[in-house]
Amino acid sequence: MTTERVSGVALALLAAAVLEECWRLRLPLGSLATPGPAYMPAVLALALLAAGVLIAVLGPAAAPLAAVGWGEWRHTLAIAFTCAFVALALEHLGYRLTMTLACAFLLAIVERKPLVATLAFSVGLAAGTYFVFDTVLRVPLPRGPFGL
Amino acid sequence: MLETLGNLGLGFSVALAPSILLYAFIGCLVGTLVGVLPGVGPLAGISLLLPATFGLDATRAIVMLAGIYYGAMYGGSTTSILMRIPGEAASVMTCLDGYAMARKGRGGAALAIAAVGSYIAGTVSIVGLMLLAPPLADFALRFGPPEYLALLLLGLFVLAYMSSGSMTKSLAMAAFGLLLGMVGIDQMSGYFRFAYGVVSLGDGLGVVPVAVGLFGIAEILATAGQATPPRVVKPRLRELLPSREEWRESAAPIGRGTVLGFLIGILPGSAHIISSFVSYAVEKRLSKRPEQFGHGAVAGVAGPESANNSATSGAMVPMLALGVPSGPIPAVMLAAMMVHGVSPGPLLIQQKPELFWGFVASMYVGNVVLLILNLPLVGLFVNILRVPYTYLYPAILVFSMLGVYAVNGSVVDVWIMLIMGVVGWVLRKLDFETAPVVLGLVLAPMIELSLRQSLAMSDGHYGIFVQRPIAGVLLGVALLLVLLNLYAFVRRGLDWRARLALAEKGEETS
Amino acid sequence: MRARRALAVAAVLAVALPLVAGAQEPYPSRPISLVAPFPPGGVADSTARPVAAALEKVLKNPVAVVNKTGAAGAVGMQFVATSKPDGYTLLLALSSISIIPEADKIFDRRPAFTVDQFAPIALISADPTILVVRTESPWKTAKEFIDDARKRPGQISYSSSGIYGTLHMATELLSHAAGIKLRHVPHAGAGPALTALLGGHVDALASGPVVVLPHIKAGKLRALAGWGDTRVTALPEVPTFKELGYPDAEFYIWAGLFAPRGTPEPVLARLREATRAAVAEPEFRAAMDKLQTPIAFKQGDEFQKFFDADARRLADGVRKVGRVEDKK
Repeated sequence: MTTERVSGVALALLAAAVLEECWRLRLPLGSLATPGPAYMPAVLALALLAAGVLIAVLGPAAAPLAAVGWGEWRHTLAIAFTCAFVALALEHLGYRLTMTLACAFLLAIVERKPLVATLAFSVGLAAGTYFVFDTVLRVPLPRGPFGL
Repeated sequence: MLETLGNLGLGFSVALAPSILLYAFIGCLVGTLVGVLPGVGPLAGISLLLPATFGLDATRAIVMLAGIYYGAMYGGSTTSILMRIPGEAASVMTCLDGYAMARKGRGGAALAIAAVGSYIAGTVSIVGLMLLAPPLADFALRFGPPEYLALLLLGLFVLAYMSSGSMTKSLAMAAFGLLLGMVGIDQMSGYFRFAYGVVSLGDGLGVVPVAVGLFGIAEILATAGQATPPRVVKPRLRELLPSREEWRESAAPIGRGTVLGFLIGILPGSAHIISSFVSYAVEKRLSKRPEQFGHGAVAGVAGPESANNSATSGAMVPMLALGVPSGPIPAVMLAAMMVHGVSPGPLLIQQKPELFWGFVASMYVGNVVLLILNLPLVGLFVNILRVPYTYLYPAILVFSMLGVYAVNGSVVDVWIMLIMGVVGWVLRKLDFETAPVVLGLVLAPMIELSLRQSLAMSDGHYGIFVQRPIAGVLLGVALLLVLLNLYAFVRRGLDWRARLALAEKGEETS
Repeated sequence: MRARRALAVAAVLAVALPLVAGAQEPYPSRPISLVAPFPPGGVADSTARPVAAALEKVLKNPVAVVNKTGAAGAVGMQFVATSKPDGYTLLLALSSISIIPEADKIFDRRPAFTVDQFAPIALISADPTILVVRTESPWKTAKEFIDDARKRPGQISYSSSGIYGTLHMATELLSHAAGIKLRHVPHAGAGPALTALLGGHVDALASGPVVVLPHIKAGKLRALAGWGDTRVTALPEVPTFKELGYPDAEFYIWAGLFAPRGTPEPVLARLREATRAAVAEPEFRAAMDKLQTPIAFKQGDEFQKFFDADARRLADGVRKVGRVEDKK
C-alpha cells in the first residue's frame, strides 16, 4: 500500500471512468480526419490510464500510505466542511451572515479561540469585506433574510 | 523616428495633464487592490469598473481601465508570494518559487523583485508597442488555427521542464489537467461534455477557481492542521530588499521574460498564464542551478512576473493597431472605446493620435506610479505574515471564497474551488505536482479547438500543418526539441530530472 | 388564556401585515436588476447599459446591469427564467434566446429554459448581419460569391462565433435559401471569428455591422450583402439578400427586454410604458448613436409577431443543421 500504488490505481480508475462516460453519453468519436467530441477526451483518458499504470507498477519505492502523515485530517475535514457550508448557504443566508458563521465556527470551535475575539474578528471581517465589495466596488453580493 | 518622438511628446502632454494623471492613479490603485485579492483578476476588475467610466471621456476611460489592467498584474504577485494563493490566474507560477522565498525569509526581496521586474517589463514592452504596433499586429494576424496548434504543442513541451520530480507523475498530472479542460460545451459540435446538467459548467471549469483551489486552499488544508504552525522567518527591515546577488540573478530573467511575454501576448487568443509558464520553463532550462527551482530560485519569480506584465502590453497591440480584441480584456476595453464613440479599427492610430499616444504615455506613467505604490507597500505586506496563522487562515479563506464568487457571481465556482482544494491536498500528500494541472486545464480547450478548426479548414487533410510556413517551422522546432531531448536522455543514461528526484529523495530520508 | 389570544393576534398580524404592505407596494420600490447574459464588451452588454440608464431615469428607480455569463448566454437566461416574477429581475436577451432551447432539444437534453418562460416587454435594436469578405478576395458581389459557392460546394470557408451561435445560424439560413454548401469553421466568440477572417484563415464571415464597419471603411473588408429587411443605414450601397432573391435569408442580431412569465400585468404594463419613454430619451439616443446601433423599437403585438416569426425561422434553421456529428 505505497503512495505510488494507490495514486497510480486511482488515476487509472479515473481514466477508466472518463472512457465509460464517453461511452454512456454516446459522444461521437468521429474519425482521425474529423475528430468528434469524444476524441480528445478518449485520447487523454488513455494517456492517463497508461500513466497511472506506470506509476503503480514502476514507481520508485515510496513511503507506505500511512507514513505520509495524515494527522491533520480532522482539521482538514472541518475546514472543508466550513467551505461547503459557505457554498450552500451563501445565496440563501446572504453573504455577511454566512461568512460570520463560517469564520466564527473556524475560530471558536476548531481553533478554540476566546469567544469575544472570535465574534469581533468574524463580524468585522464579514462586514468589512462586504462594504469594500458591495458598496465601494459595487459588486452585488447576495443578501439573505432581514436584508443581511 | 523623429515623428515618433514628436508623437510621444504629444502623448505625454496629454498623459501628464492632472486630470488624466488622476484617473491613471485611480486605475492603478484599484488594479492593485483587485490584483491582491485572491482570484479576482484584471478581467473582473475591469468589468466591475466599466460602468464607472461611462461618465468620462474616451481617453480618461481607457487610461483608467488600462491602469486597472496592469495594476492587477502587479498586485497579483503579492498573495502568490506571501500565501501561495494566486492573485489571479497568471500568477500561478509565482506561487512556486515566490512562496518558497517567503518561507526562507526572503519574502520582501521576492516582492521587490516582482515589482521591479514588472516595471521594467511594462516599460520596455510599451516601447515595443509604440514602435512596432502595426507590423507586429499584422504578423499576429497570420497566426491561424494551425499555427496555434503548433505553438501550443510546443507549449505542452514546457510541461517537461516544470516538474522537478518524476516525469511520469508530471505527465499524469498534465493529462489530468487536460482532461479537466474537456468539461463544457464542445464548440465544434454543440455537445455538452461532462457537465451533467449544470449549465454554469458550459464554459468549463474556470481557471481561477481551480488555481485558487489547487494552490491556495490546498495549502491551507495542509498547514492549518499542523501541530506546529508554519515557521515563517520574520525578516528584519534591512533584509526586506533584495541583496546584490539576488538583483544580479534576476537581471537576465527579467530581460528574457519581457521579450517572451510581449511576443506571446501579441497573439490573439493566448492567455497571460501561458507567458508566465513559458518564462518559468525557459528560466529553468537556462539556469545553472535548475534544482533550485521550486525551492526559492530568484529567476523563478523574476521571469514569470516580468512576462505576464509585458504580455499586458502585447495584448494591446492587436487592439490598438487593428481594432481586434485579442482576448476578453481587450474586448472590454474596445467596448469602452465604442461606448465613447471611438471606433477602434486599423485607422485608430491615424485618426485619433491623441488617444493612442496619450494612452501609451499614460502607460509609462502608470508603471512608474505602480512601482512607487508597490515598493513601500512591501514592508506593509510582509507584516501580514506576522499575524498568527490561526487568525490568518480563516481570513484568507473568506477572501478566497469571496474573490472566486465575485468573478462570476456563481456558487458553482466556489464548489469547484473547494473540490480542487481537497484534490490538491491529497495530491500534495501523495507527492504530485499541481502546476501541470493548471497548465493542462488552460491548454486543453485551445489545443482541441485549434486541431479541429485546422482540420475543418483543410477538410480533414493533415497536410495543412506543413503547407503553411509558420506552422511548419514551429512544428519543426518542436520535433527538434523532442529529438534533442531523447538523444540527451539516451546518451546520458539518466535524465537530469530523475537524478534530481533521486537527490531529493536522498535529502528527505537523510 | 389571555396570553394565547395575544399570541394568536400577533400571529395573524405578523402574517397579514407584510402581505398588505406588499400588495400596496408601488412598483418599483427596490433596485431592479437587468441581467445581461454576455460578458462586458459584447452586443448585449453594450446595449444593456444605455437601456438601464434610461430606464433608471424614467422610473426614477435604480436599475443595475448584472452580467451573468456562461454557455453562450444560457446561464443568464436560465437565471431570469427561474427567478421570482416580481418585476425586479429583467433580461436583455439576444436572438439566441430562440436558438438555445432548440439546440438543447436536438441533443435530447432537458432544455436550460424555454422561450415561453419569458414575457416579452419590448424590442430595442435589431441589427441585421452582413456578409463580409476580404477586399483581396475574388468576389465583388454577393452573386459572384453564391455562384462560386455553387460551383465549388464545401470549399469556401466561413467563421462564426460558435456552433448554433447567431453568426452560424445567419450563414446557415443563407446556405439553405441559396442552395449552397459552405465550410464552417467555428471559433470561440465573435472576436476570434473576425480575427480569423482578417488573417485570411477563412474566406467569409456573417457579422453584426458595428464591429466590421471600421474595417470596411479602412478598406480591409468588403460587405457583399445584408440579411435584413432593409439596407443597413451606414452601408447604403450594400444590397439585402431579399433584394437579391433570397427572402428566406433574414436574420437579425436583435436585443430585447424580457421579464419572467408570471410577472403581474400592471408591472409589465408599467415596464412597457417606461421602455417606450426610455427609448425616446435623448441620452439613450445619443448613446446608441455612439455605438452606431440603430434603435428598432417594437412593442406589444408588433414585437410578438417579430419574435414569433424570428423564433420559427431559427428553430427551423437549427433543426435543419441538426447534429453536425451525425452528418459526417
